[in-house]
Amino acid sequence: MITAEGLTRVYHMGAVDVHALGGVSFEIERGEFVGIMGSSGSGKSTLLHILGLLDRPTAGRLEVDGVDVLGLSDREQTRFRLRRLGYVFQDYALISELTALENVFLSSLVRGAARDEYLRTAREILEEVGLGDRADHQQYELSGGEQQRVAIARALVNRPAIVFADEPCANLDTATSRTILDLFARLNRELGQTIVMVSHEDWHRRYFCRVVNLRDGLVEGIEDQPCVSHEDV
Amino acid sequence: MLDGLRVSTFLAGKALQRGNKGTLVLTVMIIALVFVNLVFLPSIVAGVVVMFNQQSVDYNYGNLVVEPRENEQAIEDASVLVRRIERIPGVLAVSPRLTAGGTVTFHGTSLARSVIGIDPTEERRVTRTSTRMIEGDYLSDGDMEAAVIGRTIAGNEDPRLDTQDSLGGVRVGDSITVTYTNGAIRRYLVKGIFQTDSYSTDASVFVTRRELEGVTGRSNQASQLLVRTGVDGDEEAFRLRLYSYGVQETVRTWQEKSRGIIGDVTNSFAIINLISTAVSLVIAIVVIFIVVFINTVNRRRQIGILKAIGIEPRLIVGSYVIQVLVICGAGAAAGLVLLAGVVQYLTLYPLRFPGGPVLPVVELLQVAQSVASLFVVSTIAGYVPAWKVAGEEILEAIRG
Repeated sequence: MITAEGLTRVYHMGAVDVHALGGVSFEIERGEFVGIMGSSGSGKSTLLHILGLLDRPTAGRLEVDGVDVLGLSDREQTRFRLRRLGYVFQDYALISELTALENVFLSSLVRGAARDEYLRTAREILEEVGLGDRADHQQYELSGGEQQRVAIARALVNRPAIVFADEPCANLDTATSRTILDLFARLNRELGQTIVMVSHEDWHRRYFCRVVNLRDGLVEGIEDQPCVSHEDV
Repeated sequence: MLDGLRVSTFLAGKALQRGNKGTLVLTVMIIALVFVNLVFLPSIVAGVVVMFNQQSVDYNYGNLVVEPRENEQAIEDASVLVRRIERIPGVLAVSPRLTAGGTVTFHGTSLARSVIGIDPTEERRVTRTSTRMIEGDYLSDGDMEAAVIGRTIAGNEDPRLDTQDSLGGVRVGDSITVTYTNGAIRRYLVKGIFQTDSYSTDASVFVTRRELEGVTGRSNQASQLLVRTGVDGDEEAFRLRLYSYGVQETVRTWQEKSRGIIGDVTNSFAIINLISTAVSLVIAIVVIFIVVFINTVNRRRQIGILKAIGIEPRLIVGSYVIQVLVICGAGAAAGLVLLAGVVQYLTLYPLRFPGGPVLPVVELLQVAQSVASLFVVSTIAGYVPAWKVAGEEILEAIRG
């Protein structure tokens, strides 16, 4: 599903070069719920941005869903993101002028889906994330947890191969965070959705079936473990 | 392509629908004022030109002026030529004029002027001077020792009130003396004073042609024939028609006769117009650029998010261009309403120019050009900042 080999990312800050990633290699299989964990400054967000095609590495090789994505042009990468990837941001990143429903179906609209189809799909997904009755509300009318669930619904609408989530619970309280993580776990378990999530909260660890531990831009270790997704509900 | 347009239109529609209404209304109003500014001055210029043109036709030349053949001083057998031209289809009336130079004197004040001899009945049918009497009456065919003079030459007793040299306050019933260049001296009773607002006409002295023939000893001659046609604006065709009917004298259109003065006025106004239009368009560009620039900078993060979820920059730029086009269309529509109000007001209360009242003349072509110019500059002013922000790296945009 994802094969990363020797990914490095160097930021040139004036005369100083900052090595955010120092050669990261790992593999992620289809249907896994993977956590990228590490302390602040370990390079986990940088890695997620590269995996999600929001940034390009300084060096390395990256294959996503069978495609050498670093060989794609910017425009091809944009289309690849639209069709194969979903992205959930730390601060929800909803379009403020759109309702929950419109935020969710926007990607389908871009893909050229018919109106009936994208409306139906978006409503179904909002139901799935428990927001069927909040479809016509705008961002300012939704709580943080609801906004994040809308963001998850938006990431799922095109049935992507992989969903990337960049610390999606960072701005949420523990109870709401648990709701979000449970939602991810359910999507992983019931839909077989591949999810790659960045977190620095240790208690999130039990939700991940595989954990990539980063430290100073390098992989410190990869652990396969029992996870919530694998538990019987 | 169509899918892209659908996405851009959707994003633009939602931004307009749920964006800041105050900014939207303000921008539309600014575009409306720029539009009015683009159309208003040209409409006044057109009004001035129309006024001068109408004055040329109504008071100075009629539609066509028949002049003596080359190297001849006068049109001989004028009455025969008048009758021949009158029979040409489309010709309404012909007024022969005989001109003689002289010095006009009143209470010791003298002015050199051409005295124009007219056939009052025919002149009434060609020019409208007879309708602009402010004192007394117009000439009658039998008048021999009477003259009508213009408001400008009549003047005021207080010379500070005069805009040009005058006789110092001639009134109806006064007598003026004309010393012709051939030495003849005539005393005329001022029968009427007219005011046409045409500079040259209001500085003229009219007597009957019969009177002037007596003074000059020229019989059945004319210095020029003024021709009134049934249709205005088709003078060139009528000129050729006169030639085709055997007129051998020189025929000029009123446009040719007034080319110098009107041309100067028109050219001067055209330059003012050009500068005003350029300034208006620059204002439009700057305003729209600033509005879109602030808008895009404020939504930098949002643009980054749109790109992150897989929306191509061209669709994002397209949404801003569509917003600008909608704003521009609304601005032009509001501008049209404003303009209609201004034009209506100025039609009821016209601007007073030295040449007379000026009504704004709004030409469809000018309106179309202004709308097109606004759309072009708006598109450019909307495209550039949106393109600049949409071209940023995704993470840079998201981080703001």
